[in-house]
Amino acid sequence: MIRQSWWKILGVLLLVYTFIAGLMMPLKPGIIQVSPGSLHAGEAVELVVRGYNSSYAKAGKENMRAWLKMDDENILAASKVQVLGNRDLKVFFNLPAYLPSKDSSGSFSLILDHPADGAAVLPNAVFITQDSIDPAKAGSAWKSGRFENLSEHPGKTFPFRNILKESIRNQYFHVPLWFAMMFLFLFSLIHSIKYLRKGDPDADLRVVSLNQAGMIYGLLGVVTGALWAKHTWGAYWSWDTKQNMTAICLLIYAAYFVLRGAFQDDERKARLSAIYNIFAFAAMIPLLFVIPRMTDSLHPGAGGNPAFGGDDLDNTMRMVFYPAGVGWTLLGFWVASIVYRIRALEFKWLDR
Amino acid sequence: MICNRVSLVLILALASIVSARAQGADADFLESMGKMYVVLAVVLAILFGIVAFLIYLDRKLTKLENQIKEE
Repeated sequence: MIRQSWWKILGVLLLVYTFIAGLMMPLKPGIIQVSPGSLHAGEAVELVVRGYNSSYAKAGKENMRAWLKMDDENILAASKVQVLGNRDLKVFFNLPAYLPSKDSSGSFSLILDHPADGAAVLPNAVFITQDSIDPAKAGSAWKSGRFENLSEHPGKTFPFRNILKESIRNQYFHVPLWFAMMFLFLFSLIHSIKYLRKGDPDADLRVVSLNQAGMIYGLLGVVTGALWAKHTWGAYWSWDTKQNMTAICLLIYAAYFVLRGAFQDDERKARLSAIYNIFAFAAMIPLLFVIPRMTDSLHPGAGGNPAFGGDDLDNTMRMVFYPAGVGWTLLGFWVASIVYRIRALEFKWLDR
Repeated sequence: MICNRVSLVLILALASIVSARAQGADADFLESMGKMYVVLAVVLAILFGIVAFLIYLDRKLTKLENQIKEE
């Protein structure tokens, strides 16, 4: 039994690991809120900062450093930092009278650094306006900050992304469903070719089963994606390129089942649906891999960027993401194999 | 083929229940605790989907068993 089912056991073990590591690993400390959000140049300001998973009190104010950053050249160091609690800080800045910018306003990121949590960034934390524009006068005031000896967070964490927060863990549930779907469709393609070469009805049964499991994964991928999108991009469906292309791809595969239903004769059904399946796979590749990369998309990895880069998938996430991909794929093949066995029984008993 | 459609309808119905719940519930709740409940909703959606498919397979197998018994 072990000899035959080792891959099912492996799949389940990998999923158990995915659930435990993917749900229990903490997020890197981050900044969730800074108020007030809009400031005026030339004033001494007091910013109230709220942290996430942070331990400001443990670090102590002598180790705490804070900056406002416009770009790599223009960084302003805080004049004072006051620790109120593990998640609450007050940061004081003496804003220079002029901004180092040719616009009447600019947005600045807040950066915190201390040894207990490592460095944390809130992009576009505050918006500063100025009355008169003179970048030359801003001069050296904005050069007071230097990022030196930034600390690293001790221990393993997942990245903190402001719009995602804990929902970054969906990377181990939503994304692997698509990978597994592609593997299922790839194997169904292989069995389609096998059917066309040898005419073995068994290969046809495998194609249907793999496509059925792949469809389930695809539908679950759309549903989980919509739920995630609602709480990240604000809508279940944003008519994003990748969302539209996956919908088209699933409709093409849904038509495979409709096509099968249209034939009475088993042999014609198997042959024509095998040919259709090859075209469906050929359509899936550009729909999912090429078109979303050519246009702008809300999904990471679009607009020419390679997917899974930088902070969207760091090395700690990879330690869970790859096992998750293999685990969900093996579960998909397990589902497909059960569907196949039921269909084979049906074929043997009812179509004699 | 009918079974196929039944399973599809079942899964879509369950999916819509999940999303309707997410919509009906206070959005602040799902986004509280650093959006942890969004992960819960996604995991539950996958669980419901797989269970719905298991129900479909179960019924299909029962029908097949009965037919084999009759023969």
